[in-house]
Amino acid sequence: MVPLGDVQGLILRSYGMDCAAFFLLRVEDAPVARRTLGRLSITPGTLWDQKPDSGINVGFTFAGLTALGLSLASLGSFPQEFVSDAFGRCAEVGDIGPCSADHWDYGLGKPGLHALLLLFTQNDAIRDAQTALLRQTLLGVGGWSEIAMLPGDVLPGSTAHFGYRDGFSQPTIDCGLGNPFPDTQPVAPPGEFLLGYPSQFDQLTYAVPVPDELGRNGSFMVLRILEQDCAAFDALLAQSQQRYGIDGELLAAKIVGRWRNGVPLTLSPDSDSPVQPLQATELNQYDYAPTAANPGVFDDRRGYRCPIGSHMRRANPRSATIAGNGGSRHRIVRRGVPFGPPYDPAHPNDGIQRGLLGLFIGVSIKDQFEFLMSEWMNGSTFAPRIEGTTDPIVGNSSAGENKFVIPRENAAPIVLSEFPRLVTTRGAAYTFLPSLTGLRFIAGLS
Amino acid sequence: MNAIQSPLTLVMNIKSPDDYAQLNGLLAKIQSAPPEQNPVWVALTKLKTVHFARFVFLSNNSQLAVITTYDGSFDKYINDFIDEIGDVFNALLAHMSGAPPLPVQQNRDAFLAYVKANDLRGIDPFYSAYPQASVITILDALNQE
Repeated sequence: MVPLGDVQGLILRSYGMDCAAFFLLRVEDAPVARRTLGRLSITPGTLWDQKPDSGINVGFTFAGLTALGLSLASLGSFPQEFVSDAFGRCAEVGDIGPCSADHWDYGLGKPGLHALLLLFTQNDAIRDAQTALLRQTLLGVGGWSEIAMLPGDVLPGSTAHFGYRDGFSQPTIDCGLGNPFPDTQPVAPPGEFLLGYPSQFDQLTYAVPVPDELGRNGSFMVLRILEQDCAAFDALLAQSQQRYGIDGELLAAKIVGRWRNGVPLTLSPDSDSPVQPLQATELNQYDYAPTAANPGVFDDRRGYRCPIGSHMRRANPRSATIAGNGGSRHRIVRRGVPFGPPYDPAHPNDGIQRGLLGLFIGVSIKDQFEFLMSEWMNGSTFAPRIEGTTDPIVGNSSAGENKFVIPRENAAPIVLSEFPRLVTTRGAAYTFLPSLTGLRFIAGLS
Repeated sequence: MNAIQSPLTLVMNIKSPDDYAQLNGLLAKIQSAPPEQNPVWVALTKLKTVHFARFVFLSNNSQLAVITTYDGSFDKYINDFIDEIGDVFNALLAHMSGAPPLPVQQNRDAFLAYVKANDLRGIDPFYSAYPQASVITILDALNQE
């Protein structure tokens, strides 16, 4: 059984709060910094009787764990990719060209970040109050300094900046919390997202960082600051009919794999409003190929409904035929929140940064997040008919180089050449999310 | 574009004539089974990263070679490879000298290191009539999955 009260809650469930503040922190005085950590009220995975006003979680970079005074034996027990941190793994992830670490904001392109404190609140006023309180606790006594505070706000209609409703697809983790959007994929063993349990791989439990009280029930989380070019996205859709002979909204659905209201193309290929409306709980219950468990599923092996290269089919190919047969072995938990004001089409080039503060969680950054980025998002050989393409949303192609292919049943595929770059990485970090026991261990170091 | 196919020439050293006899019996049993009961066949059919695979005894039956052509990065797909075909290697490696700790499922890095150390690959260049074609692409073109 997973001790829900000892696990940082964000790993296991979305809080569904409207506001966030991500604090990028640096250790200034290790003993004071450790002591203040002990005073934080970290939100665990325990079931809520009533949803609280706010939630707090915290992750540490390898540099942070070093600065906090972990022993060499302990530091040496962490996986290599975590030690390297995000700025050292750009080639693996596809952060090249304008996305490369030398262009990142907040100094994230080189060592310097020690901790990432995540505050989620029900509203703006609570965020302000909690921010003041946290700054007093952490910064007031000199243990930590603040590199930056990144505010995030849920947009009207719970959409991301390109106008898609988001957050439907998450793995169901075997920990008793269920899944508000159930799917047809295998239930994930706790060890796919928490250290110390059998993982998704046969007979494999990932090595727990030592000592056990530090590592067990912890996990790893990648922060990505992803700037979205809404003007370019709008222009792409606006030209769609004239340039490629496809309706702009249909193109939007083909790019992601869902209509902007969240209805998946596999379930409703021609309209975002199927004759028999889908319940919210049905929006994640789809697959791309029939299986023994779901023999009635439409066989979309050619991508006639949902393009093989669409964002969500690349990110989670489910039962579709792929190299390695690992469609359910490289999954990630996605959290995060938009940043920046809503895009106003009347002022397309307003010079304001907007995008996603993305959080991607798994027991192994290498085997989950990085595999997904290198093989599925930026790779073009894991599945058929996507040769020479990368993901249309977060792929790593240079400007104008990418293309996007829309297969059609009785016609040649539509090929969108010179597909624009829509997202640029502005920063990233690899963090360790200790259990509450692990946090007490760090706080108690001397 | 880089070729996506690579040769694997894994040559393993058999412990003893007695081990050879057991291996020979084991492989004869596996390979004579109908495809759907042959664990090698079943695993490779699921993996879809291996074009061809064969077993060959070498050097007066003192070595066993596994010779394949595979797609992509062996490192990246090592976990999926082990999950599908790990038990076959557990059975083979039990008869090899210098074998990594078993089961391979619980010793993944050591298995990967063993394969790399014992892969003779070939003298470059590796010839392929269609170096850009993956198993996935070929099966798709043949309308076969």
